[in-house]
Amino acid sequence: MSEAPRQITLQEWDDRYERLRARGIPQPVYGGPLGRHVEDGDTRLLKLRFDNSPAALRLWNFLLTEEDRLQAARDAGKKLVGTMKDLGTVPVMAYSLDNLVAFYPDGAWWIPCVMEVNSGLLQIADSLGIDESFCPVRAMLGAFVTGAHFPIPDLLTCSVGATCDDFSAIAQRLNGLGHPILWWEIPHRRSPEEDEEAVQLPGGFSAPRGQVEFVESELERVRIALQDLAGQALDEEALARGIAQANRVRRLLAQLRDVVFTATPCPMPALEMLIAEMLAIHFCSDQEETIVVLQELLDEVKLRVAAGRGYSSAQAARVFWVNPVADLQVMNLLEDCGGRICGTEYLFAHALDPIPLNVPPMEALAQMALADPMVGSAIDRAARIVAEMRRFGAEAVIVSRIPGASHCALEGEIISEIVREECGLPVLEIEVPPLTDAVQPTLRTRLEALVETVVNRRSR
Amino acid sequence: MAYTCPYVPAEWIAAHGLRPRRLIPLPVEGALTIPRIEGLCPYARAFVNDVAAREDVDGIVVTTMCDQMRRVFDLLVRRVDRPAFLLNVPSTWQTVAAQRLYLEELKRLGRFLVRLGGREPDQQDLVRVMLSQARGDGVPGTPYTCDASVGWVLNPRVKGTLMREPRGLRTHPTCLTHHHSAGVPLALVGGPLMQRDRVLFDIVAECGGQIVLDATETGQRGMCGPFDRRRLAEDPLMELAQAYFRIPDASRRPNSELYQWLKDQLTRSGARGVLFHHYVWCDKWHAESSRLKEWANLPVLRLDSEGQGEADGVRIRNRVRAFLETFV
Repeated sequence: MSEAPRQITLQEWDDRYERLRARGIPQPVYGGPLGRHVEDGDTRLLKLRFDNSPAALRLWNFLLTEEDRLQAARDAGKKLVGTMKDLGTVPVMAYSLDNLVAFYPDGAWWIPCVMEVNSGLLQIADSLGIDESFCPVRAMLGAFVTGAHFPIPDLLTCSVGATCDDFSAIAQRLNGLGHPILWWEIPHRRSPEEDEEAVQLPGGFSAPRGQVEFVESELERVRIALQDLAGQALDEEALARGIAQANRVRRLLAQLRDVVFTATPCPMPALEMLIAEMLAIHFCSDQEETIVVLQELLDEVKLRVAAGRGYSSAQAARVFWVNPVADLQVMNLLEDCGGRICGTEYLFAHALDPIPLNVPPMEALAQMALADPMVGSAIDRAARIVAEMRRFGAEAVIVSRIPGASHCALEGEIISEIVREECGLPVLEIEVPPLTDAVQPTLRTRLEALVETVVNRRSR
Repeated sequence: MAYTCPYVPAEWIAAHGLRPRRLIPLPVEGALTIPRIEGLCPYARAFVNDVAAREDVDGIVVTTMCDQMRRVFDLLVRRVDRPAFLLNVPSTWQTVAAQRLYLEELKRLGRFLVRLGGREPDQQDLVRVMLSQARGDGVPGTPYTCDASVGWVLNPRVKGTLMREPRGLRTHPTCLTHHHSAGVPLALVGGPLMQRDRVLFDIVAECGGQIVLDATETGQRGMCGPFDRRRLAEDPLMELAQAYFRIPDASRRPNSELYQWLKDQLTRSGARGVLFHHYVWCDKWHAESSRLKEWANLPVLRLDSEGQGEADGVRIRNRVRAFLETFV
């Protein structure tokens, strides 16, 4: 830690980068000034404010160079696996083999934001009949058509069943365009009935033994496909190693979240924390480097906490955030309005829980897949949110709707009802499109009103 | 027992001594269980509001066939004082495991029905119900029966068992047969139709067309094929599960069977064009629109609807009329 924590602009970062370089601070191979990504079209960066730590710089550069990494992996003879609608299961399996690299094509949903809708991906989706009534993840379809944002993978997997309709429909459209897909079924998680053996899942939910066995059999099909692609055995030993690595990532993230969400002042902004959490589901195409990036961030926040440095005052409203935002700038906006993040549920809470080690690897992965909050009911999901809110001392909840996403039509209503019943805390539901510029005054007003409500409640 | 999804076998409910009632929703007046409109499939919303408002329903069966229905189940559980069951219908269909999962889900539904006061069915109960359907006596709660020569048709002997009789089926019974009258023969393809949206059949007729294939979920496509009598005698529940699991739908992954079915039926029906109907926010059908246009060797007209009935009517009428004029 060299300077007081401060959110700085892209230009300030580039100036700062030169100073860091002059001081001889080492950079990873993918390092460099953030401004160079704007030349690649990532113009939204010009409107964001970033944490000023070298750890944050590394995080951003890691995120924004994934395409180069995938191409380099292919050039090195590795096989690429696109794991669609998969929040953290198949990537763990793929990274258990040293010649496979898994990535998350759905991640293209941020391209319209980062490139400020200049990529043309949404227009391509439109031309294929997938219009704005679908979630912004439709940008993925355009990315497959152009091949400009990630290499076309050697194997595509996609979970279906208890998943959102948007993605399932878009993936089917992709399949119809000639991309073969290995579909694997994830059933709707339900509570065990009286005569059924119950399995306690990571994160606290439970499911009938039969469902765990079913998912295990589905993942077995995936395992065989990965083996065939890699030309290597994906045996229990390899899987156990892969799970151990994934758990290292999860442990680091758990520590990072605990420190950041509970410290006052807040040692790391909401935007960097959102990006850091996203690394858990697919490792940004490099699992080893993910560990290094997260370790640096953790070291930085620990130093800041020890020095009593950070953002926001003690008065900042402690907000629990539900669902990821399509426009990254909204995370800056929350802080501008006097809020800070104290807990999140970005659709993949299960990918932050340690994968069980007390059962065979394939069963452990099946348990984890079933623990996905989106696979079960919104009532279950709300229960987990309530538990996390209490743990982190949140004072309000923001449910951020994703435009067009099938799960967003009703889940906010259910989550809001349950949070109010259980905690009596204010809940705000907002919708965040890929670019919020046009609606920012409205969003700002709503966020400010929530913050004011929280502050007023304290004095009651 | 009220349900609306075609993957709920009416015969299985009937074999438990309960009355299956397929609900084709109508608008509800007064307080709504789900007042929200934005982002929500009009059909899913109408189903919940309708079923919640009814007093003659003892239980509700919803399926996981689409995410919106899966999620309205959460609201049903919280807001409706009626036992409800969520039947897990796998999206995949090519593996034995998926087929077995569906069968196990039917058994679980059976246990739910018993808890509701139904009787534990023996094989003979189920065989009797399935044979009765095959003979043309129809399945209680549905208006359909299977005619050996023309496939599924309205069953004239079944009265008063559907919660509300689909208007199109009543006024245009020939839509399920091949007894064509004058008018450009068209196929209607898409998800389910609410009752008031079956006004489409009238609109098409008024504009000089005729629906010769109702490939909607509430039409011919949403019905299971005939049972195999030998397999039925050996293991009726297995045969029931297999017959229903084969219903083609846009939600299956992959949904190639839907296109195979459409290919056969479009040829057989003699349709010269396709009306593709979907509700706004129904992603799974909406996404098929462009693919169908690319695939079909016929003119295709997309009709999107907000489920507002008459409010949609004028726009749809104009579009259908213009579409039909191109056939002259």
